[in-house]
Amino acid sequence: MSPLARLLSLGRSVGFAVVLLAVLLAVNLILSPARFQPGSWGALVGLAAPLIGAAIASTPVILAGRGGIDISVGPLMGFVNAVVIQMLFLKAGISSPLLLVPAALLIGALVGAANGFLATIVRIQPIVATLGTYLILTGVTLTILPAPIGPAPAWLKTLSGPLSMLPLALMFIAWWLVRRTPYHDQLMAVGSDDRAAYTAGVDVTRVRFIAYVMTGILGGCAGLMLTALIGSADPNIGPTYTLIAIAAVALGGVSLAGGRGGIAGAAIGAIDIFLLQSVLTTFNVSTFVLQIAYGAILVLAVMLTALQERLAMRGR
Amino acid sequence: MADHTAAGLAVRDLVIAPSASAITQEVAPGEIVGLAGLDGHGQELFLKMLAGLEQPLSGSIELGVSGTFRKITGLRKAVASGIAYLPRDRRANGIFPTQSVLDNFAVSTLSRDARLGLISPAARKARYNIYREKLSIVAPRPDAPITTLSGGNQQKVLLARALALDPAILLLNDPTRGVDVATRHVLYEVFRGLAADGMGLVILSSEIAEILLLCQRVLVFRENEVAAEISGEAMTTESVISAMFGRAA
Repeated sequence: MSPLARLLSLGRSVGFAVVLLAVLLAVNLILSPARFQPGSWGALVGLAAPLIGAAIASTPVILAGRGGIDISVGPLMGFVNAVVIQMLFLKAGISSPLLLVPAALLIGALVGAANGFLATIVRIQPIVATLGTYLILTGVTLTILPAPIGPAPAWLKTLSGPLSMLPLALMFIAWWLVRRTPYHDQLMAVGSDDRAAYTAGVDVTRVRFIAYVMTGILGGCAGLMLTALIGSADPNIGPTYTLIAIAAVALGGVSLAGGRGGIAGAAIGAIDIFLLQSVLTTFNVSTFVLQIAYGAILVLAVMLTALQERLAMRGR
Repeated sequence: MADHTAAGLAVRDLVIAPSASAITQEVAPGEIVGLAGLDGHGQELFLKMLAGLEQPLSGSIELGVSGTFRKITGLRKAVASGIAYLPRDRRANGIFPTQSVLDNFAVSTLSRDARLGLISPAARKARYNIYREKLSIVAPRPDAPITTLSGGNQQKVLLARALALDPAILLLNDPTRGVDVATRHVLYEVFRGLAADGMGLVILSSEIAEILLLCQRVLVFRENEVAAEISGEAMTTESVISAMFGRAA
């Protein structure tokens, strides 16, 4: 496939989200040229980074299909935030990235493995299993850290501006490598039709379990990005990312039925939501209106994606 | 009984349903065996047990390839031993509608394209092209969605997926159901060619004409037992039908 055809096929799969991205970017540039001048794009990316990270993290389990979803991604980010700052940095005095980064990823992997165990081996419905984890993590986070506390290690704070591209780039590279492994094809096959995947000899349970672990690891990374942005620890911010991240994933053309989409779409969906937020705040609307707008855009986007798919099927 | 002399698939005292009598059969390399019967009389269950998809009540299934014998106890064991299964309802159990032709082809044999753990798209395409030619699959591009193909060509892609496993025994569950006549004849030629190359084939078909055309031997199922085993000259539409309905031929 030529690069152009590849770009077109990406555009088709992401569809509406890309159009929305262009429109929102244009509107933002007109409404607040000062905020969106090229020099401040780095800072803007920094502001959007945790949401992009949360959306990317939510993607693998959704791709695995059959109601796969992880609503504990937000609380996981808050938990990583609290553990890294309160327990490791302030109490234990560990500040080296060589220890903190693996610790955050390990926490993510363990939480992901717990979710995967509940959802694929015990076979609790994913939304119920991860709701349990959501509540547990929120509670544990508040126990560790009843009130916000700071600061964060200096190296982590430098990742808040333009340098927040670094963890995002690492996430993309990691996913690009996963895409080239046999595992990715198995993941998409399982998400597309798990009975067919089973008959074709794919170990469906194993594939789904690994998807939860990947979501956990990516969620741990998103937790570090959140820590970088707020430069402190706050037990109340993490959980707010959960639903917005899932909205971003759906907006980015990742089918909640599984087997369709990728992290590029999820990231574009997240950027859409960030830009929408930015447009509405220039109008000084209340946060309640912001929520209404998210909801409306999400429903509209999912409808348009379904319509686009139906038209494409008819064209064949 | 357990004289491990012949290569091929050996079924011993297999009981597929409560209070049905045991089935002992062999499928030799290069043989095409048909399974017939009225719907729900056990032939599909039998085929799925050979594939490792269903557990038998008792008895054993063994596959002998080049001197080694392996018991089939499950799907993964069956695939690893050299048994490939083509499912019946390709929309429900076969294709991945959101995936490309190439991905649909490769899903059972993903690791064969891996170079140092990463998939080589070129190797996969080369592998696919061998089967595309062999089965004369008509597909615009290998990266087009599988749903853009006709039913017959989707079926060929699924057959290519099974053949890519290089099986010693190929189990086909009504392979020409909903497939156009031209494609049927291509598939018949392919099946004959595979048998001539030494593969053992077990074909379940709802069409007796198809079994008569392809098979040297047919097992007619009735009430979860092999009611009749007919081969050679005795294999006629009348004899198969009367066995299906439980009448003496």
